[in-house]
Order: sequence, then structure tokens, then C-alpha cells
Amino acid sequence: MSAQARFSRTALLAISSILLLLYVLAPIAWLVSSSFQSEREIVSKPPHWLPQEPTIGNFAAIFTSHERSVTYETRRATDPASGGFVPSTAKNLLPSLRNSFIVACTVVVLNLLIGLPAGYAVAKIRFRGRQASIYAILATRVIPDIALVVPFFLFIRNLGLLDTLASLIVTYLAITVPFSVFILINYFESLPDELDKAARVDGCSRWQTMTKIFLPLVTPSIVAVILFAFLVSWNEFLLALMFTQTPQSQTLPIVIASFTSDFTISFSFINAAGVLAILPPVILALIFERYIVAGLTVGAVKG
Amino acid sequence: MTVASISFRGVTKRYAGAVVAVNHLDLEIYDKEFVVLLGPSGCGKSTTLNMIAGLEDITEGELRFDNVIVNAIPAHKRDVAMVFQSYALYPHKSVYENIAFGLRMRRVDRAEIDRRILDAASKLAISHLLQRRPSQLSGGQRQRVALGRAMVRQPAVFLMDEPLSNLDAALRISMRAEIKLLHTAMQTTFIYVTHDQAEALTLADRIVVMSDGVIQQIGSADEIYERPRNIFVASFLGNPQINYLHGTIDAVNGTPLFQCRELRIPLPPTAASYVGREVVLGIRPEDVSPHYDPPGVLSISGKVESVLPVGSDRFLGLRVEDRTIFVRVGKESHYREGERVTLGLTPERLHLFDAKTGVTLRGGGA
Repeated sequence: MSAQARFSRTALLAISSILLLLYVLAPIAWLVSSSFQSEREIVSKPPHWLPQEPTIGNFAAIFTSHERSVTYETRRATDPASGGFVPSTAKNLLPSLRNSFIVACTVVVLNLLIGLPAGYAVAKIRFRGRQASIYAILATRVIPDIALVVPFFLFIRNLGLLDTLASLIVTYLAITVPFSVFILINYFESLPDELDKAARVDGCSRWQTMTKIFLPLVTPSIVAVILFAFLVSWNEFLLALMFTQTPQSQTLPIVIASFTSDFTISFSFINAAGVLAILPPVILALIFERYIVAGLTVGAVKG
Repeated sequence: MTVASISFRGVTKRYAGAVVAVNHLDLEIYDKEFVVLLGPSGCGKSTTLNMIAGLEDITEGELRFDNVIVNAIPAHKRDVAMVFQSYALYPHKSVYENIAFGLRMRRVDRAEIDRRILDAASKLAISHLLQRRPSQLSGGQRQRVALGRAMVRQPAVFLMDEPLSNLDAALRISMRAEIKLLHTAMQTTFIYVTHDQAEALTLADRIVVMSDGVIQQIGSADEIYERPRNIFVASFLGNPQINYLHGTIDAVNGTPLFQCRELRIPLPPTAASYVGREVVLGIRPEDVSPHYDPPGVLSISGKVESVLPVGSDRFLGLRVEDRTIFVRVGKESHYREGERVTLGLTPERLHLFDAKTGVTLRGGGA
């Protein structure tokens, strides 16, 4: 390749990357930027990509919302243009954050507790019905979630779990576990069978082989499962909308969505809530950053 | 559990899908013996080893350690150690921890672990590597670590599954010698799986030749090599391979004669009972001599097709009737391509097989 061709290639790649980044990051940049703007500044034309009068008023409102009661009357008293008002359901935001967190963490832990033994067993133990169970696990992923809403609802209602966090945990497990197991099976299969044999000859039971030898070796796929299960649970909207009715079980997406159907829409407040909602996944991604690429490509290479 | 002897009684291993890996195996392995399971890949030798280790279930039959049936005893409760072809070192543990792991699992106390590891490490010359990770070692070093991991366990049975196959040729030969020394030093039963006949012949007290999940022959290296029970065993051992000539046995004046087209080779009188049979005559490359005395008694002639010097030796490709046979001649010999030669045969070193069954016909030669 000539120097010129190499230069155009690099330039093309760089330009494409920048365009892609802009496309992906622009909405997030606007979300973050506008969360520091007052309602008046948000609607200004042309929009301010950098807040000219930055304010943390929106965030302050989130943390003080439980102190005030918002009704149609009190709302009218405030000045809509200044951003000094909050949606009537604002006080549900922090409890829903906690709910989302509890649900997501429980789902992650249970995914690992179920997925690791399942992945190890299917990959390393030859038992009758092994192939069939792999297909069964995969088949559950073919069914779209929306088709499951009604059966799920009936189950949850009959179990008396409507409007509880347990209803969300149970249904999110049904959605996430098959895929987690699938990721883990692939990763376990990529590790040599002889390691398994060596450990057992060395005196490990099956369980000890898994915990003492394989667990440290499958870390990248564990990270992939943590991220996957956390993100699915964190972002899930449809099932949460069906099963939760009161703030005691509502999750973040539900509460944030409720802000858009309030008396008046406060974009600055919604955007501040949005920033709060993307923080935990971002933190998680930063913690596990060095494993993410390895973990997510596992299924792609082999499987 | 210390083990003196291992015995297979009618052991069959069938995988799902009805693939039979090992078919009705009967085998006795005695205390402190060095047994080599030899055969081509897929012959069931590794499966047999895994069954001893407890890594594979037995479909039918009994496996006994010292007369106690162990079919249902899981691997971690059997007193066996194993060395694998891929070494199977734990990649996240240091060499020291790799070797210590089996002992820690068996709750051997710290000081004893340390003592055994240092001892094994010095015997295997890996003392300077103890703090490294397996990924930082060469193939030969990894193999030593794998050996060390098995040694420190001081197991009753020492299993090896093609432990030298991943090493280069020179290293393989020196490690072979070390394994033999190890057996002498450890005074335990060794069961060794390989497809390499040279390894089997050098190491084994007894060789078990397997094919298609069935034992073809059990015997010492000499027995197997000199008196193969069938064509499979005769072909599997020997390098270059044994030569075969297809023909019939006729009798001329009461003397049995092997006849293949124009070629006639007189056979020992013991072969008289096979007159009229279709047979295969096996001649090992080294069982010919440039001199035959008295002339004409037992000989084979043909045209030299190729001369193949291999350093210490010289082989001739000899055209005999419709096929080429390879024979070993002295390094000093001066045969030339195209030349017609007659070479002497030793009657007791000929092998005669039934053409249909492939089974050795006793008295036909060896």
C-alpha cells in the first residue's frame, strides 16, 4: 500500500469513527448538558450545548422533592419558565432508584448462582439430555418478551406477587438466565477438558473443580453476565409497567416515564433524572472495563 | 487406599449414540508394573485410562482395585495421579501452587507439602521455576511440572496419557529415559498410554496392544514384537513396517513352500499343516541377511528399486513379484538401483498369517 493510500485509509477510518461517536454520544451529551440547564435555557433557540448559566437546581430538586407536595394548585404558583418546579411524582424517584438497584443486584447474583453451575455442568459433564437442555435453553430466547407478558401476569397474580419487587426478580430471571447460561457454557467449553480431569484426579469433587479451578478462569464471562443481567434489569420497562403499581415496587424507568405524563412537562428535571439513571451502568462499565471486550466476544468466537 | 493390582473384568464403555469405545475388556495389571496401552487413536486406550482414574463411567463390567469394585468411586476418592498430553497445568496458579494443589486438597500439612515439592523439584530440575506461571515455561518444563504434580502425590497408581506427544523429538527421548528412572525410583504401578511404538517398547514391562476397543495382544516388548498374534499387532510395531506377501502354501516333496506367483520360499517343516491355505507372509525389514548359507535354502530375490540410507542403516526397496518390500541391509553394503539381488531369510523369523482372519499361524515361522 502506498503512503498516500495508507493516509486516506487512516483518514477515512478516523472520520467514520468520529461520525459514529457523534451519533452515539450526542444524545448523551445533550442529556448531561441539559440537566445542568434551567427550563428556560433548555428551550432557547439555538440550543446551548454548553450551559451558559449552569445550575444544579434540577439535582437539588430530586433530593428535596420528598419535602414538598406538588398538586395542581401549588404547581400553578411556581414559574414554569424558571424550572423551579418538579413533577408531582418526583418524590418517587429516589425510592425507585433503590428498587431498581435491589432488583438488578438480586438478578445479577441469582444469574451467577444459577448460571455458573449450569454452564459448568453442560460444558464439562456428559449426561443424558445434555444436548436437549442446550436447545431448550436457547429456545426460550426465541420467544419475544411481549408474548410472555400475559402468561407472566397470570402467574404473578396467582402467586400474589403483583406490585412487589419479587415479581420483577422472578420474571427478569426468566429472561436473563438462559442467555447468561449460554455465555457461560461457551466460555467453559473454551477451557480444556483436561483441566477438569486434572482437578478431579487431584482430589476435587465436581463442585470444588468448578469453584477452585474454573471460577478464576472464567472471570471475563462472569463480567459479561454481570453487565448483561444488570443492564437488562435496570432498563426493563414493559414487565415493570405491568406488574408494579405503586412507588413501593416501581422501578426507575417507570417513574421517569411517569414524568412525561404530568400536568406540565419539565424537561430539565427529566434530564437530571436521566443522568441519575445512566450513572450506575456507567460506573459498572468503568469498573469492569478491562474485561468487557474479552467477555462480550466469547460467544462470537465459539458457539 | 493403596492399590496393589487393578483388574478389568468384562469392562465395556459405550457412549451415547451407541459408540463402543471399549469392548469387553479383561486385563490384570499387577503391583509396581509398568504397563503401556498401545494403539492407534480411537482404539480405546485413553478411555481405558480414564476409567481407571474414575473420569469416565463404566457402562458394563467391573473394575477392581485389589479385588474391591471401584466402578462407583469418583475420581477424587481414588488414589491415582495422572499426567496429561496437554499437561493441564492450572494457568492461574504458580508452578509451586500447581504441584501443591493435589496435596492441599488432601489436607497434607504445610511442612510436608513444602518438603515434597522441594524434593520433587530438585529431582526434576525445576527448583528455579517454582514461582513462575505455566505460561512462562517451555513445553519441556511444563511437562516436568506435570510430572512433579503427580509425583508429590505419591499415588498408588500413576497414569500417563500420551505425556510426551507434545514435545519435540530430542526431548521426547530424554524424557522417556527419565520416566523409566522415575518408575524405578517410585516403586508404584505405572499405566502409560501412547500411540508411539518406540515409547512402548522402551518403557513397558508389558504392552497391551489395542484396536477398536479390543485388546489385540498382551505381552512383553519382545513377545509382542517377535511373536505378534495377528497382522494388526505385527503391522503396528516395527519401523519401517513389516512387509507382507500374499500367497498360498504348497507342498513339494513333503516340504511346505510359500508360493506367491513365481516366488517360492521354502518354510520350516512345522508349516506342513497349513498346506493349501491362503496366507500372508510377514517379513520384518531387519530379518534378512545379505549372506545366505547354505545357498538357496531360504531366500528372497528381487530387483533393487531404491536405496535409502538413514545414517546408521541402509534400507533397500526391493521389487518382489507385484509389490515392493523394504529390507534393512548393512551400512557397508553396496547395492545399486536396478540390480537383482538375493537375500537370505531366517526361518524362525518369518511370520505367517491366515489371509482371511489375520491371525498368526503358529509354526509357520516364528
